[in-house]
Amino acid sequence: MTTIEAPRHDILDTTATGDNYLTHSRGFLSWALTLDHKRIGVMYLVAVLGSFLLGGVFALLLRTELLTPGRTFVDADTYNQFFTLHGAIMVFLVIIPSIPAALGNFVLPIMLGAKDVAFPRLNLASFYLWIGGALFTLYSLAVGGFDTGWTFYTPYSTTTTTGGVIPVLMGVFILGFSSIFTGLNFIVTIHKLRPPGMTWFRMPLFLWALYSTALIQVLATPVLAITLCLLIVERTLNIGIFNPTMGGDPVLYQHFFWFYSHPAVYIMIVPGMGIISEIIAVHAHRHIFGYRFIAYSSVAIAMFSFIVWGHHMFTSGQSGLMNTIFSLISFSVAIPSAVKTFNWVVTLYKGTISLTAPMMYGLAFLFLFTIGGLTGLHCATLATDVHLHDTYFVVAHFHYVMMGSALIAMIGGLHHWWPKMTGRMYHEGTAIAACVLVFIGFNLTFFTQFMLGSQGMPRRYYDYQPEFQTYHVISTIGAYVMAVGFVTTAVCLIQSLISGKRAPANPWGGASLEWQCASPPRHDNFEHQPTVGDCYNFAPVVWDEKLQGYVVDRALDTDMPHASHGSHSHGGGHS
Amino acid sequence: MSLIVPTILAQTSAPMTPADFWLPIGASQQAAGVDLTFTIINWICYFFFVLVVGLMVFFVIKYRGKPGARFRTDAPTHNTPLELAWTIIPLLLCIVIFWYGFKGYVDLSTPPKNAFDVNVTAFKWGWQFKYPNGAQSDNLVVPANRPVRLTMRANDVLHCCYIPAFRVKKDLVPGRYSTLWFQCDHPTGLDEANGYHLFCAEYCGTGHSNMNRKVLVLPEAEFDAWMTKQAAWLDEIPDDELYFKAGPKIYARCQQCHSLDGTTGLAPTWQGLWERVSNPNSTARFTDGKSYADLIGPGKEYATPQDYLRDSIYRPGQHLIAPFGNVMPTFKGQLNDRGVDAVIGMMQHLDEFDAKGVWKKAPPATTK
Repeated sequence: MTTIEAPRHDILDTTATGDNYLTHSRGFLSWALTLDHKRIGVMYLVAVLGSFLLGGVFALLLRTELLTPGRTFVDADTYNQFFTLHGAIMVFLVIIPSIPAALGNFVLPIMLGAKDVAFPRLNLASFYLWIGGALFTLYSLAVGGFDTGWTFYTPYSTTTTTGGVIPVLMGVFILGFSSIFTGLNFIVTIHKLRPPGMTWFRMPLFLWALYSTALIQVLATPVLAITLCLLIVERTLNIGIFNPTMGGDPVLYQHFFWFYSHPAVYIMIVPGMGIISEIIAVHAHRHIFGYRFIAYSSVAIAMFSFIVWGHHMFTSGQSGLMNTIFSLISFSVAIPSAVKTFNWVVTLYKGTISLTAPMMYGLAFLFLFTIGGLTGLHCATLATDVHLHDTYFVVAHFHYVMMGSALIAMIGGLHHWWPKMTGRMYHEGTAIAACVLVFIGFNLTFFTQFMLGSQGMPRRYYDYQPEFQTYHVISTIGAYVMAVGFVTTAVCLIQSLISGKRAPANPWGGASLEWQCASPPRHDNFEHQPTVGDCYNFAPVVWDEKLQGYVVDRALDTDMPHASHGSHSHGGGHS
Repeated sequence: MSLIVPTILAQTSAPMTPADFWLPIGASQQAAGVDLTFTIINWICYFFFVLVVGLMVFFVIKYRGKPGARFRTDAPTHNTPLELAWTIIPLLLCIVIFWYGFKGYVDLSTPPKNAFDVNVTAFKWGWQFKYPNGAQSDNLVVPANRPVRLTMRANDVLHCCYIPAFRVKKDLVPGRYSTLWFQCDHPTGLDEANGYHLFCAEYCGTGHSNMNRKVLVLPEAEFDAWMTKQAAWLDEIPDDELYFKAGPKIYARCQQCHSLDGTTGLAPTWQGLWERVSNPNSTARFTDGKSYADLIGPGKEYATPQDYLRDSIYRPGQHLIAPFGNVMPTFKGQLNDRGVDAVIGMMQHLDEFDAKGVWKKAPPATTK
């Protein structure tokens, strides 16, 4: 370990005077053509949050329509477009890119102590591919939208008369390449750009999660691309692949689709799990419990994710033997998920817990993911899934995982790294109040849907039996409560940009490398190559009253990651 | 028809399970097993949920730090036996759950040999149930105390037959047959209000949520009588009442493509169809350029417009009106002469029907 001669807060306090990535260069082109992973991350973040708003509006519209059986304010065809667009936007434009491409892009190289990702140009290309895919999706709305459900099941998707099917398939195809490029970039970055001293098992767990995710992105997404191409070929050239009237097989489509889309579920949740590992350790200021089990479980989930797709098809007509095998293997995913959950909970044991906004999201995640994960048992079990498949039970289950877990983790991560990204602190009380609103609204919306589903209400229904109405009304009220929560979050974060306090380098007391550089970071992240210790050792992290932030007291421990010593004035002349 | 019920099934009449917080009434023999599995999983879930969230809340309260306080450093970083325990115990539980689910599934997917067969066809957006004696119905009517096997196919896109009270569900896939079986020991009678819901659970477009029908269960003797009567339903309607009593019921199968109000769908609208077909000066052309007058008339292919319409129902691809494609399935074997008469009669009296095919001169007859 290098010895430290100067007080560390001198190095860290570059916020007020030093150059940072936001001020490093100015003008539209300095953003549009940037190769800086932080700026690309921020651009992704803005784009993803914009899409989230759009997907959320469709969610509110469809929940409003479901207030009453029969027509509430739109007809069946419009409702079918609402749920299709809600699903497609939330899956392909929001959740899949949200954590890896937006937060991951920003944080991953800094956590590694690197200046950037391995392929900065590929990173920018991946962003513009995302923009291209999003434009195709918006274009599909302009030419009549699409009503296929986000799953594009054939033969409906090849025969429906809505005009936007081909554009949205093109859009998703392009988005897939964006996802592949990001994954590829992260794999190479983690392999090649780790600093001296950062062995695989000294990496922050968020990086293990991003690495596992990247493996799935690179290996599974091409299958989706091929499938969508075949769908386009069938629809435009009438070549029979999936449509039985032309000699095709619709069940084959389902196999192809879920071969990607089941792993895609883990593209969505595994990075969220990584964020939770960070949030819980940092805000409980305590070494993550069972580092290796959590790290291995991320990889295990990534591997198992490839061999369980058939559990989406228990009633599709695939053979009983296949159903049995897929059911058995599906349970294998439950084990690493359970391991992670127990490890997170025990990480709170004998911690020094701060109930900050990110921690509130972390606890909300634990609550919601426990429900989402446990209800997966009902769905993996053959006899019960036959009853529950394609009902609101499944809708509730995957919203608890996709939204209650993946998206809540993303919003939690956003609050966690917001001071680092923007250099500003948000109003903690408002952020926590918003989190509580979202949490209550979420449970009102989706817990009721478990009962709806187990009572027999099928999904994607415009009209329903009157006996289901009470739960639907509660669910819709919950959706609006959640919307108020998210609007409050947005107001809180935007307000922080305008008048928030300046953030210290280390507002939460983190020990990983991103808390060792300034908030916001310099253009090249670190003045000198940092050396690395145990990123979950919080013993030397102490509160500094003068900085209103945490600093590392080297006297307390030597086995710490830290930016190498140097005066901030060395880095001030870049702009 | 055979009335043989194997003694083993006759003896095990399953009691109806009432609806509770989670599950609807269970009215089939398989429901109890599925519900038991569901309940076992539920209790496992309750246990782990209380454990995880309870510990979480307890730890957060107990180990909440004071602002500015030094961090505790006495916490363990790992405990391999403990971690192995919470890997292996869930694994064992999962195997138990799998086993219950598997056993239940084997029951759900193995129809007894003597099952009563019903053929099911799903289409956008409705169902047709056909019985061994040729009877057809829109609601699924089955005998009680006897295993029933549905042999199902879809005409157009994916559909899914879902009967929540029986805990059964199976996709209908175009180009394949799929089967589903159940046995219900709780007769409902023919009143739809008492029937069990039958839903389409696979998204199929505009009318997806309107594909709900009822399963009506009759005691066996009553069922046989119903089936015999149902097979002859067209014969019981007087000739001059056919077009408004049977017509709308048959039209329900045509309305997905043929509108009554002039809207162009996948096929020609019925509005003005009779006038077009019987008018020698009609400007409509077939895909080969011929007009109605070229085909219909004394000495021509069809002597009367009625002959032409009948052939179009039985052999829809024979002559296609431009610009429509050859998409209509044949109704041969599904619609007899009286059925065709009812359809043509409805076309001739279209002004007596509203745009949905309801006869305006009288309250709509309840269809069964």
